[in-house]
Formats: sequence, structure tokens, C-alpha cells
Amino acid sequence: MLLSFADFNKNENQFIARQGQVTFFSYTSVENIEAKNNQVLSILDTDTQEVAISMLMRAFVFKKDLMYEHFNESYIESDLYPKANFRGKILNFDTKTSEKQTKIIRGNLNIHGISKEIDIKATIKKIGESYTIYGEFEVFVNDFQIKIPPILSSNIAKSISIKFNFQYQHYEE
Amino acid sequence: MKSKNKIFFAVGFLFIIFLLVIFIKPIFEASEKNLENKVAELTLSSNDLIHNYVNNEEKSNKLYTGKIIEVTGFVKQITFLNDTNTIILNSENETFGVICDINSNQKEKIKALKLHQKIRVKGICKGFLKDVILLNCSIDLMTNE
Repeated sequence: MLLSFADFNKNENQFIARQGQVTFFSYTSVENIEAKNNQVLSILDTDTQEVAISMLMRAFVFKKDLMYEHFNESYIESDLYPKANFRGKILNFDTKTSEKQTKIIRGNLNIHGISKEIDIKATIKKIGESYTIYGEFEVFVNDFQIKIPPILSSNIAKSISIKFNFQYQHYEE
Repeated sequence: MKSKNKIFFAVGFLFIIFLLVIFIKPIFEASEKNLENKVAELTLSSNDLIHNYVNNEEKSNKLYTGKIIEVTGFVKQITFLNDTNTIILNSENETFGVICDINSNQKEKIKALKLHQKIRVKGICKGFLKDVILLNCSIDLMTNE
């Protein structure tokens, strides 16, 4: 494992974001739920035009403790599935331009142990020698076999909107 | 007499509501996130913590995740990205570190920090990605050493 990381370091076209931000929202007439994770890890490879993202489900911060508990213990089952991952490729990515570009990232999103192919629209900005990627997309709770008891089904939206923002730096350490 | 009774009940009623607000409301809200005065379950160095996670993540998750732990290490980086205060602690293995999300009530202490300074951080361990992640941290500057 250490060896693979060492190889990783030699590649000059890799960028890392250790403190990416992912926020999700569930809006219903009963209540609005919002949770934020400021410690999302992402690696961007401008050579292969690939992005990998990994986050800890327990690192999402909610306004209320009860929401955090339900989310981790009942819905996501964080003991069994502590992480959510994404791995994908940026289609038609122009690594040279310093202009803002909106691209599709096609890849696999894994939440709650379930993998699903997904297209995410993202805006990419090159600032100096580093990149910023941000955007917003929707996922359906049903797609990831997340069971919500009937009593609470009116409190949680069927589709959850997810916002992300990554500021990459050169992978040098 | 009757009006006196009414006042008595009104005051009593308000008092009961007051008590309910004070004692029941916190149950539905976020609990006190300040860990400064809580006792850590484990104390160890950032090197040991990272070493354990790199060698056996599953076992380390059982040992540390969800617990209040106290980690000693050297400041590698201080960032204020997305309105958060974050300290990254060094380890012997340069690829890995400890990301500490610092509670906003510790702002004054962050200002006093210098790079490569040795500090002790107490927070809730959330797990390991490329770094171990601690949330709601408080800082101990270790001025006695």
C-alpha cells in the first residue's frame, strides 16, 4: 500500500483536495435537513482526466443530534458502510484553458454499499496551476436501498440534492 | 380572591412552560459540542494513531471511531477554508496526517499557534481517509513542557 502511494507522488499531473466540501439537502413540507462535510478527500488526475472522491459518513455535521443519529445508524448504517466513494472521468476536459468550463463527470457513485453509474454536471476553473471543481446534482434515496420507516417518510425527501466544492492543490507531499 | 387565583395559575403555567423549554428543548437540539472539559478515552501520539490506521483500518475503527481521543503532534498546516478552522498534524509518514476541525471557541488559541509547534488536540475521531479526521477539537498548547 505504501509503495502504491509512493508511485502516486511522482506523477506531476495529480492534484489533491483534503478539505473538500460536500453538503446535502432534503426539503419537505415537514422539515428541512441539511448536513455538511468539510473533510472530503479528492484526487484529480489531469493526465487520465479522472477524479476520485472519498468521504466519511460520520463526518457529516447536522443541526440536530437526532438527525445525525438517524442518518448514521438507521439509513446509511455507517458501521457497515463508513464511506461514500465516487470515481469518474471528466468528459472532454480541457486542462489547458483558464476559462471556466462546465463538463460532465461520468462515473460510479457508491453510497450505503450500493454502486450506481451517474453523470454529474460540474464547473471547473483553473486558477494558476491548480483547479477548483464545484457543482450540484440529485440522487434518489431509493436508488441506494436506504430504508426509511413509513412514520418518517414525510420528513425525508425522495430526492436529495448534493452540492460539492473542491479546491485542489499540487500533490507534492 | 378569584383574580388572585387566576394570577397564581397564570404564573404557575408560565413557570411550567419555562421549565419545559429549559429541559426538553435541548433534547431536540444539538448537544453541547464543547469537548474542552470532557475526559478523553484514549491519549496517543499522531504517529501511533496513523500507524495503527495504516496497518489495520478495520481494527482501528473499532478502537477509535466515535470516541473522544487526545492526540499529540506537530502542526503541519493551519487552514481557514469554508469558514472552518483546521489544523493538520504531522506524522513520521509524510503521506498521512491528522486533520483536526477546531471548535470555533478556540479561535484565540489558533492565532497563537506556530507551524511545527507541538500541541495536544482533543476531538471526536471520525475515521480515516488519507488522513485521520477529528471533529470538534479543542487545543492544549502544552505550555508546561
